[in-house]
Amino acid sequence: MNRVLTCLFWLAIALVLTFITLPLAVVVAASLSPSSAVTFLPWEWTTVWYGDLLADRWLQPFLLSVKIATVVAGISGVLGVLAAYAVVYERIPGSTAIMAGLLSPLSVPQIVKGVAIVLFLSIIGLQGVLGTPALIAAHVVLALPFVTRMAATSLANFDGNLDRAAQSLGATKRQRLQHIVLPMIKPGVLSGVTFAFIISFNNIPLSVFLVRPGDTTLPIAVINYLEYSLDPVMAAVNVASMVFILAVIFLFEKVGGFSAQLHGGSK
Amino acid sequence: MSTIALTAPATMPGAPARSSGYLVLAPSCLVLTVFFALPMGTMIGMSFMDAQSLSPTLLNYQRFFSDGLSLAGLFRTAVMSILVAVCVTVLGYPVAYYLARSRSRWRALVFALALAPELAGVVLRTYGWLIILEDRGFINDMLINLGLIASPLPLSKNLFAVVVGLAHVVLPFGILSLTTSIQGIDPNLERAAQMLGASRLSVVRHIILPLSVPGIVSSLLIAFTMAASAYATPALLGGARFKVLATMIYEQVLFYIDWGFAAVMAIALLIMMLVISFLGIRYEARRSSRRSTREGGAS
Repeated sequence: MNRVLTCLFWLAIALVLTFITLPLAVVVAASLSPSSAVTFLPWEWTTVWYGDLLADRWLQPFLLSVKIATVVAGISGVLGVLAAYAVVYERIPGSTAIMAGLLSPLSVPQIVKGVAIVLFLSIIGLQGVLGTPALIAAHVVLALPFVTRMAATSLANFDGNLDRAAQSLGATKRQRLQHIVLPMIKPGVLSGVTFAFIISFNNIPLSVFLVRPGDTTLPIAVINYLEYSLDPVMAAVNVASMVFILAVIFLFEKVGGFSAQLHGGSK
Repeated sequence: MSTIALTAPATMPGAPARSSGYLVLAPSCLVLTVFFALPMGTMIGMSFMDAQSLSPTLLNYQRFFSDGLSLAGLFRTAVMSILVAVCVTVLGYPVAYYLARSRSRWRALVFALALAPELAGVVLRTYGWLIILEDRGFINDMLINLGLIASPLPLSKNLFAVVVGLAHVVLPFGILSLTTSIQGIDPNLERAAQMLGASRLSVVRHIILPLSVPGIVSSLLIAFTMAASAYATPALLGGARFKVLATMIYEQVLFYIDWGFAAVMAIALLIMMLVISFLGIRYEARRSSRRSTREGGAS
């Protein structure tokens, strides 16, 4: 009885892991398939589809996505740190309510935020800013609460004694912020900024309302294309953008070393 | 999901600089007011207005409840989200249990395999399912080649495809919340029961499952809210044949350009999400108050 149960348990885990990895494996296989009809486990391999990635059709959306994600990560990083500083470090009155307000966009589905922003811009006659400026604003609204929360958590968790020690030794506030507070919260902030970059780069539910035709971000270009064709170029585009995201995470992790934090370890 | 314990170190220095505190807060407040609060207010206002004349009306709401299509969409969204929530929790449980209890060197690999897809983005994964489930896709291709079926099975553009795709998207979050909950159960309870002669099955049924109920509830809630608000997966795997609120809202805005009605649908989706989050918060509050009274009684 026990042995049957153990076997079932391992079988269940194997099946679930297969379920999780199958679509990814299929996409990678399809991107290397020589025929234009997508087949799984092709007998011949080719990298010809990856050559198409440098065509304007994919390169332009990719560059736009990178540009928007970079600006969004920068803006939400700065604003999030400032807000967390005010609420947690300065502890201004009403900080709990203010924090709840700062995090409130999290409880609204993205598609609802998207509709609200597009209606608002149209009502006040600013359809002209649809495209890059509107995308940046909307993605900042999306990313800012996450960055604020991560920065606030880092600020609340770091050892205040270090700061008080520096103060009693005569460090000015500016010196303390520069040499103690900022270095201490850097890993948390950098993981927030990385997260902001990724959710902006991959975003669909907000972008879908705000892109201008002919000037779209990469995920929107991909889903528009998928509406009428499944050919292997799509697989190559998808694999390339996943590799790009992994590279971004690797790069930020090298700079910030936040993986210790992601694994719940604290120093 | 959106609460943070503001138990900052008891004495943070810097009391005199209150005004500078408000000053550095201003940019965030400005951005969130202009691009979140005002738009949400506008949207709620629009739902009570006629799209052409901008005169106040309740017709949008009346239409939502009477045209049949909208309530059907709401119903489909709820059914889809419930199915996803159940699938994610059932599929995630064994993996979460393994991750919470195993000490083997394979644990890291299972952890990476279970969570890595989250980095791939929704489009890539949905595209993978499209290739697998399409009429001329991987599964149908294989079944036809094996001679098991003559014409392709209807695997895509329906509820089944959307639930499969969304379960795949949400699964890592379910696994994470279940793992955290199971890790909180004292392993000695299982060992004690086994030593007293309980079979594996009764250990699972009488100890592990009851004690991990909070994790199961949070996994169900996370999965439901993520599924109900998803856009890309239902759009690609459900298409025009299986519409949910999210895809219907998109159509209203970009094809029919009926803003008032789009606003009503968005509000319906928002209310559904808020009700679910509220139930979650109330469950959590009840549980912690029950625990505190129990502990208070014991001491």
